[in-house]
Amino acid sequence: MSFLDIDEKIVDLLEQVDLTSTPITDIKEIPEVEVGVIEGALGNEEEVHIARKMREKCKILIAWGDCAVFGGINCLRNFMDRDKVLEEAYTNTVSTVNPEGVIPGGDELPALLPHAIPVDYEVKVDVYVPGCPPDPEAILYVFQEILQGRIPKVPVDMMRYD
Amino acid sequence: MNEINLVIDGKECKGTSGDTILQVAQKNDIYIPTLCYLKGLTPIGSCRMCVVEVEGSNKLLTACTSPAQDGMVVKTKTEKLFNYRKQILELLFAGRNHFCMFCSQSGDCELQTLAIEHGMDSVRYPYLYHDFENDATSEHLQMDHNRCILCGRCIRVCAEKVGAHTLDLEKRGWSANIITDLGQKLGDSETCVECGACAQVCPTGTITIRDFVYRGRRNDCDEIVESICPLCSLGCQIRGYVRTGSLARVEGSNLEGHDGGQLCHKGRWWLPESTERERLSVPMIREGSSFREASWEEALDLAASKMKAALDKKKAGAIVSGLSTDEELTVFHSIFRNTLDMEYVDCFIGDILRGFKKGFQPFIEQGVRPFTAAHNIKESDLVVILDADPQDEVPVTASYVRVNTIINGGKLANLSTDNNPFKNLTDVDIRVSPDNMFNVVTALLEAVSEGKPLNLPGMDTSSLEKLAAMLKEAEKPVFVMGGNFAREARVVTQAVNLAIASGSVFEDGLGVIPMVRHANSLAAINTVVGDEPWIGTADIDCLYVSSTGLIPEDPQSLEAMSMSRFCIIHTSYMVHPLVNMADVLLPAPAWYERSGHFCTIEGERRKLNVIIRPQHTLKGLGEIFDKLTEKMGVRINSSDVQPCENIFSSTVPAGQARQVAVEEV
Repeated sequence: MSFLDIDEKIVDLLEQVDLTSTPITDIKEIPEVEVGVIEGALGNEEEVHIARKMREKCKILIAWGDCAVFGGINCLRNFMDRDKVLEEAYTNTVSTVNPEGVIPGGDELPALLPHAIPVDYEVKVDVYVPGCPPDPEAILYVFQEILQGRIPKVPVDMMRYD
Repeated sequence: MNEINLVIDGKECKGTSGDTILQVAQKNDIYIPTLCYLKGLTPIGSCRMCVVEVEGSNKLLTACTSPAQDGMVVKTKTEKLFNYRKQILELLFAGRNHFCMFCSQSGDCELQTLAIEHGMDSVRYPYLYHDFENDATSEHLQMDHNRCILCGRCIRVCAEKVGAHTLDLEKRGWSANIITDLGQKLGDSETCVECGACAQVCPTGTITIRDFVYRGRRNDCDEIVESICPLCSLGCQIRGYVRTGSLARVEGSNLEGHDGGQLCHKGRWWLPESTERERLSVPMIREGSSFREASWEEALDLAASKMKAALDKKKAGAIVSGLSTDEELTVFHSIFRNTLDMEYVDCFIGDILRGFKKGFQPFIEQGVRPFTAAHNIKESDLVVILDADPQDEVPVTASYVRVNTIINGGKLANLSTDNNPFKNLTDVDIRVSPDNMFNVVTALLEAVSEGKPLNLPGMDTSSLEKLAAMLKEAEKPVFVMGGNFAREARVVTQAVNLAIASGSVFEDGLGVIPMVRHANSLAAINTVVGDEPWIGTADIDCLYVSSTGLIPEDPQSLEAMSMSRFCIIHTSYMVHPLVNMADVLLPAPAWYERSGHFCTIEGERRKLNVIIRPQHTLKGLGEIFDKLTEKMGVRINSSDVQPCENIFSSTVPAGQARQVAVEEV
């Protein structure tokens, strides 16, 4: 969503970029691409798997937003242990109706990691774009730099954490 | 003080011997990042953000604690230093919960600012996710230890400026934590005076003030106005942050001054609350048990006719607030005393002010200022509390007393009718019955000046003897006189005599500090406070009352209102029971909508500024009285009121003050 913050400039950007796969295109296989963008912290085994796959297939990997860079709001759960988190979420919250107290799990679901972690805990990240959401200028800057063949670093005046 | 020369980042810099490297750099406009350092507090060099390279030293030095030396060559901006600083910031971020998106101080946070400044786009170290406590037990303060970077600013401000020393550090390393007293919750602390100084100096979102969070970051505020706190006679300098027409935050601004930028519980909480209270915005006239709105014209017509009728019968009275500015008090003086020649004019808590006025008068006649600036408490080797409760009356002076006792090692004596406001801190604590206060002070005076033995029937004099000995020994004692103490003028005079006898002399006057609650009490003494009490005894037909509504009115004044036949109440808030007494209610601008001057017991004339523009329905005091007198058919004789600092200034050095026999009073 934060991409839309760059307003009409997104049109110019899209002319120079070929968007192969996004969550909207319902990705089954990650293709070989120049640039991959991960947003969000890694919370379960499937997400770790995807991050590793992306690292394999992308020449440049970008950690996008505070959650991917630092762990962000997902880390709120890291101050509790995993079982307690599941118990809280599925049985104790006010809005939950779960009289049998079933906590989802088993082999069909990817297991929750002990902690939500930043992307670079699992794979090497080339570009960090912190911000919740990132500054629109930083978004544009990062892609323009990559299009020029450089690996960007977000300048101080465009950096934010909230 | 020798001048020293340094080269910092290639620039020739001048400093004074005794300066730290940081001080020299700051004097020469060279920026060194800091985090635990705060001007006015003892530097501890714990955060290590200010590390610099000094030629000839193979270690990095912390600029905030390293003394600058002549000929030093200092580098503050090398790549090595930048990387070290960034590394420190990353370690701090990894240590606790420093996720900005769910912190109320994001945007106002010094840690965040520094991290951005150092281009910290990721953290290379694993996070600890150690779950610390979030102490939400205090009514106004929240202390989330998960946001803490252990810079110790709160500990230092609490000990060095407030003198409470409520906060300290427990444990070591990763487990180190800020602790309240001996492990109590902040809300249960017996030493905390709830001044909020810790929150004001906290660089992160650890200690926050609930009343201010999410009201607007400092940077987002539309206006920042310097003014003063009108809640007591110290007149602490404040900074008001205005956002969308409301007061989002109040901070003490005198960081390098005597109070160190602290405010007390009154300034910190009552001031912002005062902008949220129900306001009186249009004139109202009583109709049975309630009020109806009226035009200014109608309200003033009614007020003028009642006032005129009462004046003709010599039954008109006026009680005004000691929180009025010098300018307002001059208007009151011109109208009530000079123009209408009214006998019954007084101030709230008039009896106390009259006690000080009459008690001080003989010394003022000698050309001596019979009191000294409150911060001189910190210069004294013996503070004597005379039936005062500074923490309640003029709270920041209580900080001065505590700091002087705990940090400066001064002695502290308490002589009171009630309890000891500085429990566990006093060297001598004496209880005196109210009737006996004069005799006790007289006996002390005779013991100190003439060496007479203390002989007070029915009283154990051992503590008094100890106090007399301390007074004889002390070089610069200070006497803090409470409001209760001043109910009798001769006691005040006798205590000033005692100050003279014990050599309590300061540059600006005698070492006496009157605890007058109202901000402009000294100017009120100079203008409206009458010589004789009349409240409660005089038969009043029409009473004009001007109250800011900020502090509750004293019971005596309220009684006078209830006993007068017609009451014109001029106030800012729908404050009870004050408005219940009214027959006509006139709206007044609130403290943050007014400007003017206060004559403070710090000895400075300080300026109150308009922080928020008043509503258009409000009128200033001058305009109201122009109209009122016009309707009454009288012409105003303006008074030539001397600014109170002139009245109370010394024309002879305080050392020349002579004792006065109390019969003269």
